[in-house]
Amino acid sequence: MNALQIQRAGIASSVQDSGRFGMLQMGIPPAGAMDWCALVSGQRQLGHLQDEAAIEVAYGDFVASPTDDCHIVVTGAPVSLSIDHQPVSPTSVHTVAGGQTLDIKAAAAGVYSYLHISGGVATAPQFASRSTSPREGVGGLNGGYLRNGDVLPIGDFAGSEGGADPHLITARTRETLWLRFVPGFQYAALSDAAIKDLLQSDYIVTPKANRMGVTLAGTTIETGIQTLLSEATCHGAIQIPPDGQPIVLLNDRQTVGGYPKPGAVIRSDCLRLAQARPGQKVRFALCSPEEADRIQWLEQHYLETRLR
Amino acid sequence: MTFEVGPAGESAMRLIFSEPPQPALTRKLLAIQDTAQQYFSETLIDSVIGYTTLTLFFTPFKFERDRAEAWLREQADNPMPETSRPGERAEQPVILPAFYHPSVAPDLEWLANDTGLSVDDVIRLHCEQTYFAYATGFAPGFCYLGNVDSRLVTPRLNTPRPHVPAGAVAIADSQTAVYPCDSPGGWRLIGACPERLFTLESTPPSKLSVGDFVRFEPISEADFYSMSRPT
Repeated sequence: MNALQIQRAGIASSVQDSGRFGMLQMGIPPAGAMDWCALVSGQRQLGHLQDEAAIEVAYGDFVASPTDDCHIVVTGAPVSLSIDHQPVSPTSVHTVAGGQTLDIKAAAAGVYSYLHISGGVATAPQFASRSTSPREGVGGLNGGYLRNGDVLPIGDFAGSEGGADPHLITARTRETLWLRFVPGFQYAALSDAAIKDLLQSDYIVTPKANRMGVTLAGTTIETGIQTLLSEATCHGAIQIPPDGQPIVLLNDRQTVGGYPKPGAVIRSDCLRLAQARPGQKVRFALCSPEEADRIQWLEQHYLETRLR
Repeated sequence: MTFEVGPAGESAMRLIFSEPPQPALTRKLLAIQDTAQQYFSETLIDSVIGYTTLTLFFTPFKFERDRAEAWLREQADNPMPETSRPGERAEQPVILPAFYHPSVAPDLEWLANDTGLSVDDVIRLHCEQTYFAYATGFAPGFCYLGNVDSRLVTPRLNTPRPHVPAGAVAIADSQTAVYPCDSPGGWRLIGACPERLFTLESTPPSKLSVGDFVRFEPISEADFYSMSRPT
């Protein structure tokens, strides 16, 4: 059986598929690839059909060797890629011989890249997913981020001929990233001034950005809400802690929380936020649930047409 | 009963009651959650109960928002369930052993000083109460238990500790809990529970669930160390 020997694991690399569902009540977040378009694109390029797990690499710094011959492709945030020190096209599917060394280095934009290997990462699923939830110690390899010297089992390839547009990249740079959100939770309890501050100020992505969420810096939001009874959070929820700086909650979020939330950023904008580097300017905008549905449908349509 | 139903993002719906938390309300939320699983079947992928809330998470594209909203309103208008639903855990409390001693509880003496009670009184008051599990989350197996005796009500730390060990018995405001795993935490630590509250290999993995009654039972240092699993 093929295995991947990791020489350099980088700062926050982990095994991810599309995540686990049905475990929120237990306090286990969904986890899963931060850039699910990049995950699906790589899966389809290799001909994977069963949500095969990939290696999510943050700020690309990853060196590894497969023990057996296999196909690989890297998706998501742009990288430079070399095989045995020879630079190769970073967006193509490559054949790698057993023992050859893959080297992934971050390029100038984006955060999360995905290394897909034919057969997929074959660590044992927990609660029906291989996704790593490091805080909870669930999934992946021993429940944690990958480390130098780890050896990942790779499955036998059981897919079909691959096919997908290799240029499916959502992490392009833009001056202002709009975060459209569906109002809800405590939206009605916030003052007009607080909502105005949220909607009319520029915010900046701070270095406090990880799989749990992205902390923004900008105008302080005075919620005027002292204590809330703990309730469910959701993907994209805009949480306003006492310091008034919004945090957008993402895949590894706490499943419940007691901070005020004026709403939740729609999925497609969360994906772009996850791929934004510190310093990125963002603005919030209201979005009706119906408009969110329409955008989600269009995104899915775009994705599907490029996966054929 | 007054309530609101509204979106929690683009594919979840949230029901919130304006009454204060109480076991009868939690049982109603549990009953609605149970019915929702049958009514929506596989389009419902997750659901979470909070102190006064139930949030239903749906599969994107299969989510009929208007139908989910109307259904939640109808359920919320139903009267409180009078009897326990079948299969509900017995109202016999879950007993959690706890070792109350400054060597494992850095805030025990502080709390006694702050409340003007003796350490023995703090322990006695914490153990006399039967608690109700209102919500789970924060970390796997973490269960929000209420309410502590009014004499033990204490604010959380201004700056959370970067490291709270698994098993720490803690108080914050009128709630108490046991930290199921090592994590940061801002609650006041008054004891240590040698039992594991969350084990991935167990079914279910969590010892406590929403709707449980819980009591703490003081144990000796010798019992604590003999019951603690080697790490």
